[in-house]
Amino acid sequence: MRVPGEIAMTRRRRRRRSVVVGLLVCATAAGWYAGSASRGAGQVDAQSSKQSTANTRDVQRTVENSPSSMRRFAVSIRKPEGPPRVITGLTDLHGNPVTAACSTCHSTRKPNSTNRTAQDLNEFHGNLKISHGAISCLSCHNGEDYDALKLADGRRLEFTEVMTLCAQCHGPQMKAYEHGAHGGMTGHWDLSRGPQVKNNCVDCHNPHAPQFPKMQPTFKPKDRFLEPPRTAH
Amino acid sequence: MSSTRTDSVNPTRSYPHFLWWGLGEATNGGILFYVWMFVLTAISLVGANAWANQVAQGMIVTGMTDHVSWGLYIANFTFCVGLAAGGVMMVIPAYLYDDEEMHKVVIIGEAVAIAAIVMSTLSVVVDLGRPDRFWHLLPIIGRVNWPMSMLTWDVIVLNGYLLINLHIVGYLLYMRFLGRKPNPAWYVPFVFLSIIWAISIHTVTAFLYCGLGGRPFWNTALLAPRFLASAFVSGPAFIILVMRVLRITTGYSAPPGPARTLIQIIRVAMTINLIMLASELFTLFYAGGAHAASAQYLFFGSHGHHGLVPWIWTAIVCNLVGTVLFFMPAALERGGIRIAACVLCIVGIWIEKGMGLIIPGFIPSTLHEIVEYTPSLVEWKVTAGIWAFGFLLLTVLLKLIAKVFAGDHVTG
Amino acid sequence: MNNDDVPADKPRGTSGPLLPILNQPSTRRTALKVAGAALGLAAFGQAISPLWSIPENISVDEFLQRHYKELSDDDKQRIFRRLEAETKQELGIEVTIFDPPPIPGVRFGYAINLSKCNGNGKCMEACNKENNHHRGVDQSYIRVLEMPKGSMDMEQGNTTYDHAVPQDDKFYMPVQCQQCENPPCVSACPVEATWREDDGIVVVDYNWCIGCRYCEAACPYHARRFNWEEPEIPADEVNPNQGYLSNRIRPQGTMEKCHFCLHRTREGRLPACLEACPTGARVFGDLNDPESDINWVLKNKRVFVLKEELGTRPNFFYFFDS
Repeated sequence: MRVPGEIAMTRRRRRRRSVVVGLLVCATAAGWYAGSASRGAGQVDAQSSKQSTANTRDVQRTVENSPSSMRRFAVSIRKPEGPPRVITGLTDLHGNPVTAACSTCHSTRKPNSTNRTAQDLNEFHGNLKISHGAISCLSCHNGEDYDALKLADGRRLEFTEVMTLCAQCHGPQMKAYEHGAHGGMTGHWDLSRGPQVKNNCVDCHNPHAPQFPKMQPTFKPKDRFLEPPRTAH
Repeated sequence: MSSTRTDSVNPTRSYPHFLWWGLGEATNGGILFYVWMFVLTAISLVGANAWANQVAQGMIVTGMTDHVSWGLYIANFTFCVGLAAGGVMMVIPAYLYDDEEMHKVVIIGEAVAIAAIVMSTLSVVVDLGRPDRFWHLLPIIGRVNWPMSMLTWDVIVLNGYLLINLHIVGYLLYMRFLGRKPNPAWYVPFVFLSIIWAISIHTVTAFLYCGLGGRPFWNTALLAPRFLASAFVSGPAFIILVMRVLRITTGYSAPPGPARTLIQIIRVAMTINLIMLASELFTLFYAGGAHAASAQYLFFGSHGHHGLVPWIWTAIVCNLVGTVLFFMPAALERGGIRIAACVLCIVGIWIEKGMGLIIPGFIPSTLHEIVEYTPSLVEWKVTAGIWAFGFLLLTVLLKLIAKVFAGDHVTG
Repeated sequence: MNNDDVPADKPRGTSGPLLPILNQPSTRRTALKVAGAALGLAAFGQAISPLWSIPENISVDEFLQRHYKELSDDDKQRIFRRLEAETKQELGIEVTIFDPPPIPGVRFGYAINLSKCNGNGKCMEACNKENNHHRGVDQSYIRVLEMPKGSMDMEQGNTTYDHAVPQDDKFYMPVQCQQCENPPCVSACPVEATWREDDGIVVVDYNWCIGCRYCEAACPYHARRFNWEEPEIPADEVNPNQGYLSNRIRPQGTMEKCHFCLHRTREGRLPACLEACPTGARVFGDLNDPESDINWVLKNKRVFVLKEELGTRPNFFYFFDS
């Protein structure tokens, strides 16, 4: 019983040792081989694979670029839902706030084209913060239909198309916007691969006080050397 | 002559045989010797342990940051390369000017060079975030960015210098051991190669820093000459100390000539070094601007941060006092003045090239943020370990040299 | 100890045995030496014992892995699967590691409108999340400098401001990798672990980098980050969409840097920092496409690059409105 066990053990040990030695030899040899021989081979592999991808990409590209079959994904612009609704301060039976369309009140009131500031508004909107140049309310709001906007030439404009209104005055910004140099976006830079969604003017700018609001930085790298936090430079 | 006797007794002593014998001889000594070796071993082990912890836990245990991404290790590396290059200041008089007395002790300079190169290599290895990938740096099995990367150049020239010096020292000692006359064809070409090579190791090390356009403090053509000049102070000064220690401990007495020659060299080199430092500072401070930001921080502090100010003024004082002492006539005699001058200049240059040059290159950072750096305990331990190992190696080498040379005297 | 009594130098070569150390006079001294050496070795083994954990963490495959450019497609697939399995094992989550190649003919450019940027730092946060950065230090490839108006001297800048932004007398300048045409970091690397790809993105092979940090010293823009410790990311915050050369979880002790989110941009998507920017200050696109947004900016705005005098030729631009 004992003797075979011992033999088995030494054998196992020997095998283990030979495995270790073998591994070492293999490792050295592999390192050497990989360094000299397969370096060339690897390069060839990499090159050929690069070529093949390049070919398929090129094919795709030519297909995309041929005018007949050019497939470009859309650039879409986020839109406001429609005319805003005014919070009345009342709640319904379910406790939900009651809102009213602008026209609910304004249909019975005469539009005053001279109103410019919140102080001018002696009935409602008194706490509205207005800081948008020297324009009057009715420069943009439509005195004939308060559920819509009005372009400078008097044409009616839906609230969803507000950007057309902004662009009347803010031409350079609109131009930059069209070229991706103004306004945030998400999605794809390469429209042959996917769509892009751009922010609307009013996503970032409050039309009544369009200056971008101040923000509080929420994320700071916690550099090791900042503990305890460094106050000033 | 002894040579024939030794030859006839044992004509087939192989080189490995000689090394094994040398190891045995070099580890013989008195109680003080063993205490010395024990202390060095203990410090080396502390360093090895600190390094192993650093590898396991990450370099977070050092004081380095993304802003100051090189610290004590690279500072020490720079000094050690200078020490190695400084050894050549014995070789040049010995071989270029055929200084007979220097010829007898030149091997000490070469031994110092070997130990210093090993120390600088270790300093780089401990600075690696992934020492397990060290093989990537090796030609053929790794992938070296040659000739673009100055660090690749540095690895090549440092190892080359180590091999050249190992060959010269090994060959000369082996021949003496065999009692044969060394064949000049086997070592003189290497000696001349080592002269050029010594200059190249420190030049390449300077290029490592001064080639970086983004670091204005380093980006100066004066860096390589400054490195060489200060190396030709620290190297000879260190060798003078080593010869003194050898005289006291082993009675291996060098003639007075070589030390005097070395001191003359130091006088010239240190003067040149100080002139270059002064002109560097003039350029920086007189013109001012962004280029002077690091120097401002280093010498006077900046935006309320003064971490390196004590370091650099210590270095300036050490260097100036050391230089004055070297210029005193008493420095040419064996005595306290000479020793004090050597120690002061070594300390001064260690700081000037390390904490006073490598660290301020990172402060302010490339985005002009000021983040200070203080070496952590781990870094001090590892650096101490490297020095202890270097001394261990140097002791063994010197012991062997003394043994071989003394043996020659006895039999000859 | 009576070492000194022992004649240390018996004339050599008298007997010439196999091991000359045995030739030494005192067997006691030899025995002491052997004991000392054994003790020293044991102590050394003990001293470096923290290293024994390494073989557990680094497999033989990983240790012997070749440089990225020497890997065949099969090798890469094997490596990606191994890395995915390791993440699964360590964090218990499924991630996908892939390696999108550069799009032929595309060269990426990035521009920031300094009139718009208000220093809110959402880009840094997005970078941190997208790129599986170490959460312990809230790492990010972007640093935002608060600069006084009237100066372009970064010496006046400050990255650690913590107040409502923008301040009236300040402007804000985010800095990240400039993806230079002539990158000093690439020249510096001793092992070619970092290189510039055909689309202009400078990448790092995290499995080849030796962690010498020479590139970090060489970079004039503070664009590189070192993994000073093992990055820690809560399993539920890991971004599973991982590029091999970009946002996969990096190993300790290696260098990393901004890669223009190549795992997104090479799929045609916008970088994470651009999508996160609430001010729309960021413009990204293909410099080789004359109709691209980035080219419109270059043609119609007056742009500048950082530290142009260094000759790094960045593909990262800054501009102001009007």
